[in-house]
Amino acid sequence: MSISSILGAHNAESVIRTEGLTRMYQMGNNTVNALRGVDLTVLPGEFVALMGASGSGKSTLLHLLGCLDRPSAGEYWLEGVKVSSLKPNALAEVRGRRIGFIFQSFNLLPRFSAWENVSLPLAYCNGKSSSSIQRARAMEALTRVGLEHRAGHQPTELSGGERQRVAIARALVTQPAVILADEPTGNLDSTTGTDIMKLLSELHGEGVTIVMVTHDPLIARHAGRTCTMQDGFLSEGGSRHEFN
Amino acid sequence: MNLINLFRSAFRSVAANKLRTLLTMLGVVIGVASVIAMLALGNGARAAVDSTFQFLGANQIQIGQRNSMQDGEYKPMGQKLTYQDGLNMPDAVSLVKRVEISASKNIRARFGRNTVEISASGVTADALENITNQNVQPVNWPEGETFAAKDFMGEGRFFTPEEVLTGAPVCVLGHQTALDLFAGDNPVGETIWIERTRCLVIGVLVEMESTDVKNLYKSDPNQVLMMPVSTLIQTLFDEEPSVYMIVHVRDAERIDEAKQQISTYLRERHQVQKDETGAYLDDFDMTTRKDILGQQQEAARTFSLLLAAMATVSLVVGGIGIMNVMLVSVTERTREIGVRLAVGAKQKDIVFQFLIEAILISLIGGLVGIVAGILVIPLAASLNNGVALLLPGSIPLAFGVALLTGVLFGLYPAMRAARLDPIEALRYE
Repeated sequence: MSISSILGAHNAESVIRTEGLTRMYQMGNNTVNALRGVDLTVLPGEFVALMGASGSGKSTLLHLLGCLDRPSAGEYWLEGVKVSSLKPNALAEVRGRRIGFIFQSFNLLPRFSAWENVSLPLAYCNGKSSSSIQRARAMEALTRVGLEHRAGHQPTELSGGERQRVAIARALVTQPAVILADEPTGNLDSTTGTDIMKLLSELHGEGVTIVMVTHDPLIARHAGRTCTMQDGFLSEGGSRHEFN
Repeated sequence: MNLINLFRSAFRSVAANKLRTLLTMLGVVIGVASVIAMLALGNGARAAVDSTFQFLGANQIQIGQRNSMQDGEYKPMGQKLTYQDGLNMPDAVSLVKRVEISASKNIRARFGRNTVEISASGVTADALENITNQNVQPVNWPEGETFAAKDFMGEGRFFTPEEVLTGAPVCVLGHQTALDLFAGDNPVGETIWIERTRCLVIGVLVEMESTDVKNLYKSDPNQVLMMPVSTLIQTLFDEEPSVYMIVHVRDAERIDEAKQQISTYLRERHQVQKDETGAYLDDFDMTTRKDILGQQQEAARTFSLLLAAMATVSLVVGGIGIMNVMLVSVTERTREIGVRLAVGAKQKDIVFQFLIEAILISLIGGLVGIVAGILVIPLAASLNNGVALLLPGSIPLAFGVALLTGVLFGLYPAMRAARLDPIEALRYE
């Protein structure tokens, strides 16, 4: 199957569907079962919060969903395409075109201006599109997060909240199938964190599919649906402890 | 990512660590400069031979008297190389076409009250043919125009073969010599005194200028007094002098064979003995263009070898420096690599990114090295008898060497960067 036919298959019902997703690591002589058969379905336009204690496997799941890692067993369909069996280059293509990442620590490239950071995914997935088109699309994404006036600034010249907005713009710029956010407010004060969550909620309101990892129930409340990871198992809803 | 963006991005990271980049490229700078200087020495040797020994064509052998050190001074060995040796050679040696024979003597020439002290040259009738490739040309000669022997003749004519054979008392003057003796009057047809002999001036040469850029021969090409070599020997020497010959061989390809034939001929005429090991004790020396080139290159070779060693060591050290800095850079930018992989970069994108950074460092080093190499050539020349000349082809070559260094030593760090696990890379603190 060619990459373009993989990426062209947008007509499935679910954005994300996993069946028995399993991930094992070898640590010395011990085998660590980070994920033990996770079944998850995310529909278009859903905002899902993945909660769980540290070591529960929520980051491992997010990495698998983001095609940064491949499962030891089980299947994963992204927009109806079985991505769990793709080769590294095809996975890179999927990451570039269909997935947007937002990280806790923003992960912007230093020495690159805001718009250059935002256009980075375009440089890899649309290597042949002209810089002016890439710039225009980056500016569009920056406008969407309200930072068009800061486009020429480097990350060191931006506040934490602004940096995360740039990162969100970077995640949006390719119009991906899903945005995967890993503790997006973890490095921000509560006010700024709330602003970022408002922005994500707005995007959700516009139909953007979001899967967000967080350990903060207050943050998780912004999501329409909460799933909880515990010892590598996934269950719907928040844990009793976390909702108390 | 397209190449322009890759280079722009590479330039930015290289520029972000100016001092580090500068120190890293030092090895490449020295290496490339050495390559330029090394090739300049080889080229200089060749050019020096070309210009200095231009008179010796590829089909010509120069023969002179061999001297040996006796009682603290150089004395001719065995028998003298004589006019007759040269005169008989074309008949006796099948590969020899003709022989130019020459001799010289410092004399005093006089016309009326004017006298000049000058080295008189005894030459053969074809001497003017040879002047055309002796780094001189008529003054104000149009650039690029070729000139022939006749273009050197001002007034009158040159010697005939008969005059040379019979030893006729005639002479040809250089432009300056004619001025010195005749103060502007036409000398042709006048008789001058050369020492105690009367000599008819039959021609005057045009004014000449040197085309030898290095001006290795500083003598004035216009201070000339030429006579038939036979006349010079008969009238100005008490005893037969040693002559100097340029032998024209029929076939340049067979010049070594001709040397053998000439040796046999001269050994027979001079009754050359063998030493105890059976080697001939030749009393003459033969030189070809190839021999001179060999000697000159031999001298340049030692220097070139030294520079080649220096170039190799510098480039390897420079390359390792680049590799080291790139490895540091990969480690420092692990997180950046993770981000790039997460937003869609393929392994080859990362390889190219770091490879191009390494290449950029080596290419900038190469450029600086080329400039340094060109600046160093005069120094190399001063250490090598003034012989070093930039070989134009060495610039692209040096650039290529720099590029190759960048690719060779940049590849490993680039591959290492590309093989990073994106998850580990994103976690890297």
